[in-house]
Amino acid sequence: MIKVVDLHKSFGQLHVLKGVNEHIKPREVVSIIGPSGGGKSTFLRCLNMLEIPEKGQIIFEGVDITAKKVDINLHRQKMGMVFQHFNVFPHLSVKENITLAPVLLKKKTKEEADEMAKALLARVGLLEKIDEHPSRLSGGQKQRLAIVRALAMEPDVMLFDEPTSALDPEMVGEVLMVIKDLVREGMTTVIVTHEMGFAREVSDRILFMDEGVIAESGTPQEIFNHPQNPRTKDFLSKVLL
Amino acid sequence: MDIGTICHNIVKIMSEYWQVFLIEGVSYTLILSVITVFFGAILGSLLALGKRSRFKPLVWIITAFVEVIRGTPILLQLYFGYFVFPELLPFLEMSDFTSISVALVINSSAYVSEVIRSGIQAVDRGQSEAARSLGLNARQTMLKIVLPQAIKNILPALGNEFVMIIKETSLASTFFIGDLMTSYLKVRGITYLSFECLFIVGVIYFVLTFTLSKIIGVYERRLKSSD
Repeated sequence: MIKVVDLHKSFGQLHVLKGVNEHIKPREVVSIIGPSGGGKSTFLRCLNMLEIPEKGQIIFEGVDITAKKVDINLHRQKMGMVFQHFNVFPHLSVKENITLAPVLLKKKTKEEADEMAKALLARVGLLEKIDEHPSRLSGGQKQRLAIVRALAMEPDVMLFDEPTSALDPEMVGEVLMVIKDLVREGMTTVIVTHEMGFAREVSDRILFMDEGVIAESGTPQEIFNHPQNPRTKDFLSKVLL
Repeated sequence: MDIGTICHNIVKIMSEYWQVFLIEGVSYTLILSVITVFFGAILGSLLALGKRSRFKPLVWIITAFVEVIRGTPILLQLYFGYFVFPELLPFLEMSDFTSISVALVINSSAYVSEVIRSGIQAVDRGQSEAARSLGLNARQTMLKIVLPQAIKNILPALGNEFVMIIKETSLASTFFIGDLMTSYLKVRGITYLSFECLFIVGVIYFVLTFTLSKIIGVYERRLKSSD
């Protein structure tokens, strides 16, 4: 579904991605773990071209989206993204947050989008907030809203960039529940996360990223129980107490 | 010069020349300010928009223009407008009032463009990233997500610009345009009572700007509470 070939990305002097190769298959759930500064988020943000890589290719559903002539907006509609800091739209109501993009991009009529917003909000337990503004929501509620906002575009893949890192501990569970629910339905998912227990539970595959490359990749079983790379071992010994 | 005499003089001047101050002076000052703010905001928005263009020479020209306007005294710009515009564009047959207005508009547009630019920049980058990740293009993101939020930063600042301009229009009196400060020059010329006339004009300026600031303050609070 997403094929990444020799991806390089620098910020000024800082070479963040140093040749990443990866193939994410349909319905696969992939978690990316690793120390901060290792390039996890940058890699994820390259997948939908929020960061423009200097070198390499990203082939999404058969199209190289790094090519200049590609209309990236069309492809982004098929890739939902959830951010660490929610980034819900504060000037719009909860409902409008969800319906804005599908209506504006002519994927749905106003009525269809409203119906879908209700269904999505009911699914994540936010139906009674439908006419509120996001400032009245807790962090966990905002993130659940951000997830259904992305789902409203009916994406083929969901990208999560540390979706629980900015949350108070008691709200982490409610957001992870929603993601787990999505995974169970077979949504292709890529998650950058520090929630090791969660990654182990839901993932088909774990990528360990360090110093700009995927240092190790394998099933949760392989990575957590029998890490091969010394850096993976070192990292896990620090985070798994 | 005792307070009794001063008060007496002020009352006398006001009873005789109130029309010069309150009708002529205030209306010219307000008209000049409204024209400046209105066209300054339009031109300023265009400049701010142009500065975001991908066509680099346009960005350089606008940047240079804004820097020059902000780096030279407004009085100099008014002189420039007063002497140069009519020479440069004789077919327009600009009156003094028009050429001074144009100079004020140009000055204000530079400041307004900065107000708009910083208002847009103050909107969290995550907002446009979220919009782009949904598939909105750059224009849709600007119109639907960034600008509606930037407006809340821009409007109060634009109101303050209005207050600044009311005070700055007093420089137009250098060219005897008819604003409030010109009223001062006129009445002083007749009565030779500088202090009293200055006091009257000062009070009127203060009432204008103070009222306006208060109105903006109320409006700003209302904008904030609508979040």
